[in-house]
Amino acid sequence: MGNILLISENDSTFHRYEDLLNKAFTIENLVNDDLLYESLENRPADIFIIDSNTQNIDIKLTIKKIKSRIENAQILLLTDSENIDENIAKDVNGFILNNFSDNLISSTITTHLKTKEKLDILSGKNKDLADSLYRLNVLYNTSSQFAGTLDTKELLNYMIEGLDKSLSFDLTCTISFGFENEPVLIINSLYDISEELMNALKLRAILNYKSLFENENIPFEIDDNNLKIIKNIKNPTNKFNFSIFQYDNMFAPIDLGEKFFGCIEIFKENPFTTDDATYFQTIVQQVSLPLKSAGLYKEIIEKNQELEKLERIKSEFISIVSHELRTPLTPIKNALTILSSGRCGILGETAVKFIDMAKRNADNLTSIINDILDINKIEAGKMDFNYKVMNIHTVIENVKNTFDYVAKEHEIILNTQEQENLPDIYADSQRLGQVLTNLVSNAIKFTPNGKNITIKSELKNAKDITTNPYFENEIKNMNGNYIVVSVIDEGIGIKKENLLKAFDKFTQIENSLSRKVGGTGLGLPIAKQLIKAHRGAIWCDSEENKGSNFHFALPVTTGKTEGKTIQKELL
Amino acid sequence: MKKILIVDDEQDIVESLKFVLETCDYTCYCAYNGEDGLKLAREIMPDLIILDVMMPRINGYKISRLLKFDSKYKNIPILMITARSQEEDKLIGEETGADEYITKPFDLNDVVQTVQKYLNTEK
Repeated sequence: MGNILLISENDSTFHRYEDLLNKAFTIENLVNDDLLYESLENRPADIFIIDSNTQNIDIKLTIKKIKSRIENAQILLLTDSENIDENIAKDVNGFILNNFSDNLISSTITTHLKTKEKLDILSGKNKDLADSLYRLNVLYNTSSQFAGTLDTKELLNYMIEGLDKSLSFDLTCTISFGFENEPVLIINSLYDISEELMNALKLRAILNYKSLFENENIPFEIDDNNLKIIKNIKNPTNKFNFSIFQYDNMFAPIDLGEKFFGCIEIFKENPFTTDDATYFQTIVQQVSLPLKSAGLYKEIIEKNQELEKLERIKSEFISIVSHELRTPLTPIKNALTILSSGRCGILGETAVKFIDMAKRNADNLTSIINDILDINKIEAGKMDFNYKVMNIHTVIENVKNTFDYVAKEHEIILNTQEQENLPDIYADSQRLGQVLTNLVSNAIKFTPNGKNITIKSELKNAKDITTNPYFENEIKNMNGNYIVVSVIDEGIGIKKENLLKAFDKFTQIENSLSRKVGGTGLGLPIAKQLIKAHRGAIWCDSEENKGSNFHFALPVTTGKTEGKTIQKELL
Repeated sequence: MKKILIVDDEQDIVESLKFVLETCDYTCYCAYNGEDGLKLAREIMPDLIILDVMMPRINGYKISRLLKFDSKYKNIPILMITARSQEEDKLIGEETGADEYITKPFDLNDVVQTVQKYLNTEK
């Protein structure tokens, strides 16, 4: 049965309709603005019949009002003739002529009533559809937000925000163990909460949490003393009272698989629908994966920081120790120098022999300390380079001169085989000297008496530089022209499988390598880093018992600018 | 005889330097901390100073700066002894005005050669 509102100043019209329709409909007659408003608010009619002869009210305005207040309202205009004001005609749903028979009037009204019913159903469905679409949008947005962060706090905020947008809850209580390493109760509330209510909510949250683990061990012990509270109030001018516990509510654990993260309870004055429940579960489940990643991410960050700290401590330790070792070494060396100089009297042959032994070992210790400091500096990125335009010939000549005497002592023939007129390069000649010294002293260590060592230099294009498969990675990014320096010996050689290890820190190949000779095993790793700093490459080739070839390649650069950028990138 | 001032808190180092330089016919004055070193430098007006970097009270860089920016002393050659330690690294980069750097552990013969280089060219 529908409601009909008749607007007419004509009593006989009203009576006619009352007689005609009273049995099937509620009918009301209003001719005054205020009464009309009151009726629209409190007793919304389905059908409005407006007498076109009404003088007291503005018909056009009234139609507008009705349409704005009542969705799908059916408005019929009661008129004497078919000559109707066009402006009004286009706004109404139908007409009743005064000369219509009672039957025609009844059927017109019934038809419009049915139309209204159908339209109402349709709008309801439409609304549901819009609602679902909105939620889907919220869900989509929330999911993208979830994907965008690895911060636990932010993830929880996004989850609660998403729930608020789609379910418009009054209050949520979330217990979380996921951040700051202590249990936290996050309360998001529409209105403010009194202290008593807060305590009640806290107890309820704890009970809820414990109820999840009835027969199992509780993963985290919590009581109302150690539960920290974070309160977010939307509208603090109002307050919730204890009636909140009569509100409809839903509860779910936030489960991360092996690890328990927390739980959430949500309150709303109007009952939740099945859709609401599904939505709630979906969002709570959706957040668990990013929360899990966030936890792992945090762990990695912490581990990393720990490692960095250890690395720093190690580096500082090495630096301090090396410094402390250097200081006493100085007077030891000084004393030996003074003794062997004869300034304290002439020494016997045996005394000279032992003083030389002490000196040799003090020098050895010095170079070990220097190596450790160097590798430490390189690893900390603190190595200083003094880049200048220079020619590799100077470096080769210096190193050859330094080793000539030692080579002769070992009855080794030290040759150079330099390509003439090699172009200048932009490099640190002292560091390159260090690299070459290292390679040559290694060669001398492993070459038997009477054999050859050759230092060779040549200009090569990257295309023409080849290596064995072990070092292909080292040279693959090279292009342009390079100066390749090689140290070729006829020593014991290195087994193929040990070639790569040669440049590793603290490795001594097969021990045999270090048996005959001392050293930290840092020489080659330092050389590798120094050459890398020059944007070059270092590699080796060897055949057991025939000899080893160590090569390094340095890019031929023309301008100083390029060298400067190299330095900047590396330090 | 040329006067050399040696400033280092390591007594052993001072002693060995003193011994060798004296056999080379230099007169050596010694100080074992920065404060005394600076005082002595102003007092005796040495021909050359051998200066350690890390010392209690006033470090070598500071002494070097104070002397090198004083017109009265700026011509005295300063040989700075450094251990290339971390604390020193932090101080480096400041203008010290030192003429030469010698890294610990140094070779006494090198030091003598350097000293001779500075004191002979000055003549």
